[in-house]
Amino acid sequence: MAHPILIGRPTDAELGERLLGTTWRPGGRGWRVAFAVSGAFTVLLAVCVTYTVTTGIGVWGNMIPVAWAFGIINFVWWIGIGHAGTFISAILHLFEQRWRTSINRLAEAMTLFAVIQAALFPLLHLGRPWFAYWLFPYPSQMQVWPQVKSALPWDAAAVTTYFTVSLLFWYLGLIPDLAALRDGAPTRRRRIIYGLFALGWNGRSSTWRHYRTAYLILAGLATPLVVSVHSVVSSDFAIGLTPGWHSTIFPPFFVAGAIFSGFAMVLTLVIPTRAVFRLHDVITDRHLDNCAKLTLVTGLVVAYGYIIEFFIAWYSGDLAEMQQFYQARPFGPGNAVFWIMLGCNLVVPQLFWSRRVRTSPLLLFAASLLINVGMWSERFVIIVMSLQREFLPSKWAGYAPTWVDLGILSGTIGFFTLLFLCFLRVLPFIAAHEMKELRHQLAEEHGERAEAHHG
Amino acid sequence: MAERLMAEFASGAGLAAAIRALRADGHRRLEAYTPVAVPEVEDALGQRPSRLPYVVFAGGMAGAGLAYFLQWLLVAYLYPIDVGGRPPHFPLAFLIITFEMGVLAAALTAFAGVLVRGRLLRLVDDVQGTEGFESASRDRFWLEVHLDRPDGDERAARDRLAGLGALRVERPPEVPA
Repeated sequence: MAHPILIGRPTDAELGERLLGTTWRPGGRGWRVAFAVSGAFTVLLAVCVTYTVTTGIGVWGNMIPVAWAFGIINFVWWIGIGHAGTFISAILHLFEQRWRTSINRLAEAMTLFAVIQAALFPLLHLGRPWFAYWLFPYPSQMQVWPQVKSALPWDAAAVTTYFTVSLLFWYLGLIPDLAALRDGAPTRRRRIIYGLFALGWNGRSSTWRHYRTAYLILAGLATPLVVSVHSVVSSDFAIGLTPGWHSTIFPPFFVAGAIFSGFAMVLTLVIPTRAVFRLHDVITDRHLDNCAKLTLVTGLVVAYGYIIEFFIAWYSGDLAEMQQFYQARPFGPGNAVFWIMLGCNLVVPQLFWSRRVRTSPLLLFAASLLINVGMWSERFVIIVMSLQREFLPSKWAGYAPTWVDLGILSGTIGFFTLLFLCFLRVLPFIAAHEMKELRHQLAEEHGERAEAHHG
Repeated sequence: MAERLMAEFASGAGLAAAIRALRADGHRRLEAYTPVAVPEVEDALGQRPSRLPYVVFAGGMAGAGLAYFLQWLLVAYLYPIDVGGRPPHFPLAFLIITFEMGVLAAALTAFAGVLVRGRLLRLVDDVQGTEGFESASRDRFWLEVHLDRPDGDERAARDRLAGLGALRVERPPEVPA
C-alpha cells in the first residue's frame, strides 16, 4: 500500500491557517543562523563579482585552451537544477499527478532562484558585462546585429524565455494565496503589501474560469521548455568540434542530467523544510518516495548517456575521441573528478531501488547532496577535461581554478539559499488553494468509496 | 446602480444548489466568489468555457512570426555574413529562437488574458468591503445577487437566501459609479 499524499482530513480553515500562517510566524533561531551564513556567502559573492568586474576575468582560472571553465560549469549546473521545478509544476500537472500539489510552489521557487544564479555566469563571462545588451538586437549606430546562426544567441533567448515563463507560472499560482494573505494579514502594512501583489483578486467565479484555463496553458507552454532549454544549452557544446562535445546524444543526455540534478535539489530543499515546519502530514513520505523514484529513472537515463558516449568514442574510430574517453578522462589530470562523477551519478542513485532508502529522509538527503556534487563534476568533466586535451598535444594543458572561482561558486550557493530562506518567510511555500482543492477531491473520493462499500 | 445582496455559504455544493434554485426563480445576474475553483459553481452559473486559448494561440503565433521575420531581417538582409558556409537565410538555425519567442509571447498573452478577461487590477472593487467577506479567500463561498427584477424586494430575497442555506446575508457597500 502506497503512502497517502495527505494525512488526516484538516478543514479548509485549518489548512489555510497552517500553510499561510508560516508567513506570520517569526523565524526561529535556526532560520536566523541559516540566514546569517547564507548572507555571509552572498557578501562573498558580491566581493568576488566586484573584483572580477573591476579587474577582468583574468582573475579566474580560465586560460587557453581551457577558455570555458567554472563560469560555464556553474551556468550549466544551476540551470539544470531549475528543470525539476518546471517538471514538477508543468509536466506532472498535465499528467494530473496529484502528489505534485504540496511541493510544486517550492520547486518552482527553486527554479527561479537557480536560474538567477545561472544567469550571472554568462554575464560575468562576457568580461565586460555592461555590454550584455549587445546580445539582443537593438538598433545600433554601427549596424552590427547579433549572429543568430550561432548557438549563443539561442541560449540567450532560451534562458530569458525560461525565466519569464517560470516567473509567470509561479506568480499566477500565487495570486489566490496572496489574496488570502491580504485578507488574513495581522497588520495594515502587510495587508497593503500583499494586497498590491494580489492584483485585486477576489475569487470571482468568472476570474477562476479564465485562471484555470490560463494555468493549464502555461503548464502546456512550460512543458516543451523543460526539454528545449537544456537542449539549447547542450548545443553550445554539441555544435563545437572539440572531442567529447561533438555528439548527437548531448541534448537528451543534458535534459536527463538536468532533471536528475533538479530532483536531487528538490529533495535537498524539501527534507529540511518539512522537518523545520513540521509538515509531515502535507509533504508525506509518498512525496519523498516519488521524487526518489524520478531521480532513479533520470539517473538511469544519464547512465545510458555515459555508456553511449564511451561506445560512440570507440565506434567513431576517431583518435582524439578515443584519447579523450579512454585516456584523458579516467587517467589524465583531474581524473579524480571523473571518478567522483561516476560514483555519485551511477552508484548513489542505485540506492533508490530500496524502499527503505526512498522513505528515509536522512539517507535521501545525503544521497541528494552527493548527486548534486556528481552533476557538478559531470559538467567539469565535459568542459574542462575536453578542453585540456584537444586535438594537438602541443595545446594540452592542465587547469586549476583560482580562489575567485571557488568564491563565486560558493557565493552563488549562499545567494541561492538566501533567496530560498526569504521565500520561506515571505510567501506561502505550499499552494494553499490547491491543497484545499486536493482535499475536496480526496474527501469526495473517500465518500464515494465509503458509499460503495456500504451499498 | 441596482440593489445587491451578498450571501455566504458553507460549501461549494451548497452554493451551486442555491445558484440553480435562484436561476429557476428567474434571477439572471448572479456571481460567485470562492476560495478555490469550483467547476460545479461555474456550470450552475451557466458560464461558457474560457476562450482564452484562441487568444493565446494568436499571441504565440504572432510572437513566433515576428521573431522569424526579425532574424531574417538581421542576418539575411541587413548584415549577411558567411558562418560555416551556411546560406544567409537559413531556416534551421532560425527555428530555435522562433520557437522560444513564440512560447514567450503565448505565456505573456495567457497571463495578460487572466488580468484583462478576469477583471483583475481594479482599483475599486464593488464586493470587497462587504462585512465578513474576508472568508471568501479562506473557506466560505459567497454569492452576489442583483435585485433587478421588477418584483424584486429585499426582504423576500433575504428570506429566500436564508431558506437556501445561506449562513449570512449582507449588503455590499455602495461604490461610487
